[in-house]
Amino acid sequence: MTDFGALIAALADAGVEFILVGGVAATVHGSARLTRDVDVVYKRTAGNIERLVTALTPHTPYLRGAPPGLPFSWEPATIARGLNFTLTTAIGDLDVLGEITGGGGFEQLAPHSQVVRIFGRDVLCLDLPTLIRTKRAAGRPRDFEAVAELEAIQEETRGE
Amino acid sequence: MARYTDGMSSDQLAQELQRDPVIEAYKAGIDRSLLRERLKRSPAERVEDLAALAHFAEQLARAGAALRPPR
Repeated sequence: MTDFGALIAALADAGVEFILVGGVAATVHGSARLTRDVDVVYKRTAGNIERLVTALTPHTPYLRGAPPGLPFSWEPATIARGLNFTLTTAIGDLDVLGEITGGGGFEQLAPHSQVVRIFGRDVLCLDLPTLIRTKRAAGRPRDFEAVAELEAIQEETRGE
Repeated sequence: MARYTDGMSSDQLAQELQRDPVIEAYKAGIDRSLLRERLKRSPAERVEDLAALAHFAEQLARAGAALRPPR
């Protein structure tokens, strides 16, 4: 089971620069849907990649769904060579994303993010209009209901 | 001939043009009373509720697995 608080604390306490996206961001904005992992877009600088690696190493990250025994090494060079990683860790499932469809990377998304205080930490969370835009851009049928709910939240908060 | 978009501001018109009929169809099934209750809670409370719900779902899954006969 994913320990949402522990994952977010691990990243925030290590000084990782990241933006919450996906289901947890939707929850922040009022979604009632259950999500089972944490999705973050991380800043792809050498220093931040180092902090990301340091933050998760104690929690033994591994590629989610991959057979055991692959030569996967959680180290800065691995992150620098790749972009998006779907991980399972000792404290739950975490997607660390260099970019998301329709939104880009950390630098593009940061102006469309807001600081929220959750689990005792101040973290960046993608704002509602951008979350809707990126989910629509992804175009996955399984997201249709989630997009509908987010748009309904936007209508409710605008008083439509 | 009058159109349903007559009288809309440019922002309203842009929003209307962005509406996706598939998403609109899904919206009909959204429980808005549930959303209104969720929106009364703070972001911190919402994610704490999510954590509690995930824990509950895990307990249910384990209970269900325990009921199933071993293969």
